[in-house]
Amino acid sequence: MMVIKLFLEFFKIGAFTFGGGQAMLPIMQRELVINLNWISMQNFLHFVSIAEVTPGPIAINMATFIGYETQGITGAIFSTAGVVAPSFIIILLIAMAATKFRENRVYQAFMSGVRPVLPALLVNAVYLIVAEGFKGIAPFVLAAVTFFVFARWRKINPVFLLIIAGIAGILFL
Amino acid sequence: MTGSKFSNLIKGLKLFSIFFCIGLFTIGGGYAMIPAMRNIIVQREKYLSEDEFLEMFAISQITPGPIAVNMATFIGYMQGGIICSTLATLGVVLPSLIIITLISIFFLDFTRFTVVQKLFTGILAGIAGEIAYLTFDLAKKIKINLFTGGIFIISLAALFILKINPICVIIIGGAIGIIVKGMLHKDDGH
Repeated sequence: MMVIKLFLEFFKIGAFTFGGGQAMLPIMQRELVINLNWISMQNFLHFVSIAEVTPGPIAINMATFIGYETQGITGAIFSTAGVVAPSFIIILLIAMAATKFRENRVYQAFMSGVRPVLPALLVNAVYLIVAEGFKGIAPFVLAAVTFFVFARWRKINPVFLLIIAGIAGILFL
Repeated sequence: MTGSKFSNLIKGLKLFSIFFCIGLFTIGGGYAMIPAMRNIIVQREKYLSEDEFLEMFAISQITPGPIAVNMATFIGYMQGGIICSTLATLGVVLPSLIIITLISIFFLDFTRFTVVQKLFTGILAGIAGEIAYLTFDLAKKIKINLFTGGIFIISLAALFILKINPICVIIIGGAIGIIVKGMLHKDDGH
């Protein structure tokens, strides 16, 4: 029954955290480490340090880690399903209604105000990556090269470009 | 019926593979995969128009859950209902599930290896470059006037100086949109 508890606990965390994985970390810590005592603080912090640098959304990485730690692979699957389920259901409902509300005047006015916010959010995202992950001049050069390659050859697959950037990282960083 | 279900399944498998690749290269938070998603979803496969994509990007942030999952679910549903939506979401989730389970099983924290750290830093630098280009490209397409320029400057100030949460900044932008467009609309009536 522990796997059901894992599912429900992560469902709750997934349903009430806005703003992606980073925002979930303090809530996970309070619920799973302090209130439920499922994992130790030391393990939690260790997981966070890995989850932040491995591929994939942080929320899912954390759910898989904690699920595996408490109940093995079944636990990992149940807690990951739990953390994903609320988004899945909410977005499904939004998608079903999308054709209707896209014609709504208030929605259109709202979105006209949101559109200019998006470039600012992207500037902020670049700033956060640079502030946290860039040491020395080399990453800046690599980022600048990627920028120009992406701008010049638009047909290039962006995922392929990231693989090249990764290999360049191994060779030059 | 069965024919359309079958074609949805084929479409779903394609979405699965697209989102699997995207999930595999999302390092450093949900924004990392936005340039790749836009390129593949809007420009390459034409699943969504640029406007639909940007609206979805905004909605993904003000609804609960990881941005990558929200985007996968939405795009999947638009392409072929619940089947495609489930497969796309599964695709974006599986890389994490596999990688983290492997790390847990083998007690092998491969992120400690210098080669892996360099690989990830390289990918992260690439992501920064791609997001920077996307920012530039999107900004170019927005008509610059008092309304859009004003909201952009207010958003930057809110994020960098006041350190306001991105969700609140999106809602503030939307509220300004409703107020300003609402007023313009009233003026039109007179």
